[in-house]
Amino acid sequence: MPLLACLFAIFAGQVAVADETFLDSVAPVLARRCLSCHNDQKSGGGLSMVDPQQLIDDGYIEVADAGSSHIVELISPSNGRAEMPKDSDPLSAEEITAIRSWIDAGAVLPANFQLQPPKIADRQWWSLEPIGSDAEGELRSIVDERLDAKLAQQGLTALPPADPVTLIRRVTYDLSGLPPTPQQVDAFVTQSRDDPEQAWRDLVDRLLAAPEFGEKWGQHWLDIARYAETHGYDKDQPRNNAWPYRDYVINSFNSDKPFGQFAREQIAGDVLADETSEGIVATGFLSAGPWDLIAHVEVGEGKLDGRIAKHLDRDEMATAVFNVFQSTTIQCAQCHNHKFDPIESEDYYRVHAVFAGVDRANRVYAGLSAEQQRQKHALQQERDAITRQRDEAKKTFEQKVERRAAAIDPRLDALRQKANQSTPPPQHGFHSQIAARADVVKWVEVDLGTPQPIDRIELIACFDDFNNIGAGFGFPVRFKVDVTADATLTDQNSVTIFDRTADDFTNPEATPVNIDVGGQVVRIVRVTATKLAERRNDFILALGELRLLSPVDGTDGTDVAVGAEVNASDAIPPNARWSPRFLVDQRYHRLSLNQAEAKQWKQLREQRRAIVAAATTPEYQRQIEQWTKRLAEIEQELSVIPPGQFVYAVATEFPKQGKFLPTKGSVRAIHFLNRGDLQAPGARMLPGAPELWPGGPSRFVDREDYDEAEARVALARYVTRRDNPLIWRSIANRIWQWTFGKPLVGTPNDFGRMGMLPTHPELLDQLAARLRDDPEQSIKSIVRELVCTNAYRRASFADGFEDITRTNLTIDASNDGLWRFNRRRLTAEEFRDSVLAVSGTLRTGDRGGPSFQDFVIERPQHSPHYEYDLHDPNDPASHRRTIYRFVVRSQPQPMLTTLDCADPSISIARRDESTTALQALAQWNNRLIEAMSKRFADRLSAETTADDEAIRLACRLAWGRDANETERGPLTELLTEHGLETLCRVVLNASAMMYLD
Amino acid sequence: MKFQTIHRRSILRQGLGGFAGIALADLLHREDATADVALHHPPKAKRVVQLFMAGAASHVDTFDYKPVLEKRNGEPWDPGETVELFQSQPGDCFASPWKFKPYGQSGKQLSEIVAPLGDVVDEIAFIHNLVGKTGVHSQGTLLQTTGFNLPGFPSAGSWVSYGLGSENENLPTFVVLPDHRGFASNGAKNWGNAFLSASHQGTVLRPSGKTPITDLFPPESDFITQQSDRAGLQALKQLNAAYAARRPTDDRLDARVRSYELAAAMQLSATDALDLASEPQYIRDLYGLVDEGAHVDDTEINPKAETEFFGRKCLVARRLLERGVRFVQIWSGNDNGFPRRNWDSHENVARDHGPLALGMSRGAAALIKDLAQRGMLDDTLIVWTTEFGRMPCSQGSEGRDHNPFVFTNWMCGGGVVPGTFGESDQWGFRPRDREDATTVYDINATMLHLLGIDHKQLTVRHNGIDRRLTDVHGHVLRGVVGG
Repeated sequence: MPLLACLFAIFAGQVAVADETFLDSVAPVLARRCLSCHNDQKSGGGLSMVDPQQLIDDGYIEVADAGSSHIVELISPSNGRAEMPKDSDPLSAEEITAIRSWIDAGAVLPANFQLQPPKIADRQWWSLEPIGSDAEGELRSIVDERLDAKLAQQGLTALPPADPVTLIRRVTYDLSGLPPTPQQVDAFVTQSRDDPEQAWRDLVDRLLAAPEFGEKWGQHWLDIARYAETHGYDKDQPRNNAWPYRDYVINSFNSDKPFGQFAREQIAGDVLADETSEGIVATGFLSAGPWDLIAHVEVGEGKLDGRIAKHLDRDEMATAVFNVFQSTTIQCAQCHNHKFDPIESEDYYRVHAVFAGVDRANRVYAGLSAEQQRQKHALQQERDAITRQRDEAKKTFEQKVERRAAAIDPRLDALRQKANQSTPPPQHGFHSQIAARADVVKWVEVDLGTPQPIDRIELIACFDDFNNIGAGFGFPVRFKVDVTADATLTDQNSVTIFDRTADDFTNPEATPVNIDVGGQVVRIVRVTATKLAERRNDFILALGELRLLSPVDGTDGTDVAVGAEVNASDAIPPNARWSPRFLVDQRYHRLSLNQAEAKQWKQLREQRRAIVAAATTPEYQRQIEQWTKRLAEIEQELSVIPPGQFVYAVATEFPKQGKFLPTKGSVRAIHFLNRGDLQAPGARMLPGAPELWPGGPSRFVDREDYDEAEARVALARYVTRRDNPLIWRSIANRIWQWTFGKPLVGTPNDFGRMGMLPTHPELLDQLAARLRDDPEQSIKSIVRELVCTNAYRRASFADGFEDITRTNLTIDASNDGLWRFNRRRLTAEEFRDSVLAVSGTLRTGDRGGPSFQDFVIERPQHSPHYEYDLHDPNDPASHRRTIYRFVVRSQPQPMLTTLDCADPSISIARRDESTTALQALAQWNNRLIEAMSKRFADRLSAETTADDEAIRLACRLAWGRDANETERGPLTELLTEHGLETLCRVVLNASAMMYLD
Repeated sequence: MKFQTIHRRSILRQGLGGFAGIALADLLHREDATADVALHHPPKAKRVVQLFMAGAASHVDTFDYKPVLEKRNGEPWDPGETVELFQSQPGDCFASPWKFKPYGQSGKQLSEIVAPLGDVVDEIAFIHNLVGKTGVHSQGTLLQTTGFNLPGFPSAGSWVSYGLGSENENLPTFVVLPDHRGFASNGAKNWGNAFLSASHQGTVLRPSGKTPITDLFPPESDFITQQSDRAGLQALKQLNAAYAARRPTDDRLDARVRSYELAAAMQLSATDALDLASEPQYIRDLYGLVDEGAHVDDTEINPKAETEFFGRKCLVARRLLERGVRFVQIWSGNDNGFPRRNWDSHENVARDHGPLALGMSRGAAALIKDLAQRGMLDDTLIVWTTEFGRMPCSQGSEGRDHNPFVFTNWMCGGGVVPGTFGESDQWGFRPRDREDATTVYDINATMLHLLGIDHKQLTVRHNGIDRRLTDVHGHVLRGVVGG
């Protein structure tokens, strides 16, 4: 297929033959090497070459004199480096010569010529051609006919069918990821003797109907979906709600969801799906890749670095959608038009615009689970019962106190009334939200906006009559005061100037608390309560006024806090009495008693407190404390029950986290970026996609205030259109790969010109058409046909066929023609699952739900350390299939990694199959293998009585067959000398276990 | 034809991301890979040590002397443009807490916390005009380790392993010595193979850990004894050899038999490489090792402990290099937890940089001297790097915020021409010549050049793109390689 030359749009269409030199050999060079930095949006050095006349006008070209033209100077290299193109390879000698000759010849330009970026317009490429209609007939026969015809054509001879034992082991792993049991093998062998075809059909039907199918094929999908359960990047925090997407994938394969629907849901299921919950979970596909927590949460979109992170985030989603569903490398068009495929850079940014309204975040996809509901109800009932009992007890107690205080209460009341004559201002001050426990840390701070010298801080408690407290209401029991001159106060930059966090602080009531600052320059003053004030049954932080007195010569200073910004860890919604701004409003309570009255009032209140204390029996106190404690626990337990079940997906609504804010459905303005540079934005881009096939919709909306959901729906529909040739070929190729172990197109994520060509294009199209036109779009029905072909059932080697094999290898060494079956190694997951299964340890029925962790997390607060060494391999929670493993990005599972399990940072279309010494070490020495060897040995002891029986069972479980004559000797000797465990360790390491014939 | 081998591998790997029969370069074609390792031109270096300062080491407190900061200490800092910093607003000019003085023939100015490198300063090529892409740790770290500021790309060590293969198959080709207190940002992604074969991933080695390499030895067990272990491997070899013999023409099966033999050999080689007891006292002293070893007290960050930690890794690195390891990556500093044990000195430069830099420079200087006295410095390249630099202005009163706008790398040995190449401006804020900055692509192009590889020709096709360590950029630093 010829690669296309660059295409130039010629205005006015009047290309004179005026200057062929320019059009043939100069314009392409300028377009390819210069234009991306010198255009109308990004004009490096103030030069745009869109109109090349500019080169002459601006003096870069001396017409007819290349030698003194500045441009020639700039592009001529010395020491392998030229000034232009900047930071790039110099032009070739031929290119420079062409430019020179053109200048020398008079630098003639065609009229009205405009230079345009080189792009590929040619859609004549196999993967972009329409897919024909579905051929009549059984797919299995068509496949065999096509394969056989090609074998014959190439002079290849197919190997004979494999024996039943090999076949059942092969197909069981391919469709379930687990080994067949000896009973299954025996039954199949017996049935095959009578009716091999029926036996095979029954076996295949059983495997396709079993839930293990989704657990095996779901893993294939998770590999390409770059699925993991931590964010990656810095800190690599866990993503505890990612797993519902994993279950969605498994269930979709098991229910044989129509493929088009499966694809649509993963892009816009939250909008489109019949079942909204499932649709929301499906968009876990878009969010599955890595996410830079620090850049989103700590840096934010206010800064360039934060916007770069958002750009990378959208790039990640766009790449995933196009690689996975379209086998198209749209990411190559980020800095320039795609160099090989018909994708323009604008197309790439149109796809960015599709994702301009979403972020990756936790999102409620369903109400509370039954268990959560039951738990919530029980807690609420217990809370109500305790509250009733406690209120009853308190009432009795208060009545008792009132009787004993009858003598002083009238005097107290009188004084209180007097004290409140100058009514406390209605604007009390700041009031935090209510906490169930005293030790919840809360803070409130005043931000002056600019650093200023401060003499002292005055804290004035609130006056509120709640529970007869009056002055001192809500004043923290333990607290500290921190200051900083920076714009934000952090653990790192703050200075603690007052610290009463170690012991209780006597409530100052109406007396201001003075804290000396000594003229330090500060911007933010923060009061942090580490022990909150108690109200009747709960705890709060309240403060009447926070005054910051700035030094003024000879006076008491000015309160510079007045009207400043007040921030807090939390606050009750502002009302007439409480608001953060009342903290700095110069309105606060001043006592209206004279000194003697104030003294008396204080004494009376102390007396009353003494009466209360005397009335408090230890029994009463213990009871109240117990109730309070339990109520706090209940509140805590209730608070961790979420509003519903969460999935980590794409979302427009989520609680703000630092500088990570929800879009609430609005879209970020996406601009074309010259060379992918956020500092060189071009025109505003609206949602769309490349026009990869004729008639494909490529512009999704035409107004700037579009709905992000509408854009994603349009993309989902674009991808799954019947006339989209890419998606059907893409999935057909993957189904073939996941069945035969090797795809028809060697680059499953790239069907472009940089990818590989299909080995059997007509077969690929046949599969694609069958799936597309099937009303059920059933993947299972294709798989069923493929495993029922003769090709699938060929031997990978056969006695008596040595010469044929050798001859075949000289013609088709990579077995593209499938003249034999491709022997393959177990995948990382298959190996681990098999080790658990054959040792009798695998909890086969334990499907779905939160992932098991085969590590211990240390230091979870900051950057969790995922310590695999500390995990106990005998922990039953981890004895589940590997697909239910908690996948960590920064610290991959060591054993599975040596066995080439997928790197979840990228879409892995084909796994590596390496053979290394580290792999041998892992299989031989890993603690899981040691522990499972023992369990395997225990199982053999329990199920057999003689050595030869034990060996037979071990091999049948792990290898699907008994040991042969050559193998029996070493195994028997090993068992006799070193026992069953060592035997099992060897059996689990054998190539007979690790490879599928 | 040396050129052809790399080229052949590039073709073989087209679009595969590695697959059966191809990725077997690891064991199968190992002899082939080492025998005719493909070079584009005669190499000067055969192996590399990368020293990585996690958290971002300050250039203005170590290698890039800025007298103006001393003169204007405490005065408002005005770079003549608005500066957007990672965490704070730019503070005042902030002089380094340490004195600088000239060292060596060249009179290169070094801060007192890297004074140990003064002895070897004339061997070092300093590049003071490196620029990064963002001031975010994860991205900066990935950029310096993989050449891309997002995950999904092979580490420089993986590329070198892929390009040159192994000199000793009994040891991993690419070894990583992480800070024992935790991984830096991105963890294992900094030495991941991404789309290269798993055989090119960095192998973590913990010199002071219970098991220096994961699964190097059998776990504690009530049935694994030396005898049963040996007998088991013997039986396994018989089984696997018979399995392979029954299925001729499948090299993977023979490779698998060999993989267990190599695993056994690796147990010996790795143990031997880590046996520091065999090092004479003067060598242990050179690297600053102490008797307490890894148990040295570091409740408060201090130079003695930091020297022990970093020095031990440097000494182990030398022993690994002697035994044919191609690429050793040594980390100083862990994640950003508290108490701080990395170079991310937002709060207090003096507290963190002092001990870390003294430890690093003592170990690095020892490594340079030790390699030199063994005749290995000539063909061993040492590259010192970090995710970005730190600002010339203060954060709070004693800290410095991130500076991705300019920072320092240095290279030593392996044919490097010593000197200073590329300078920062008077503040150490941006490159002196903004039009002529150095990038990580240039550093990596230079590294590959010294190894005999043209950075543009070491490619692997992955998802439609011929990927390189240097993306579509990179120039060999001609001054550094001497023409």
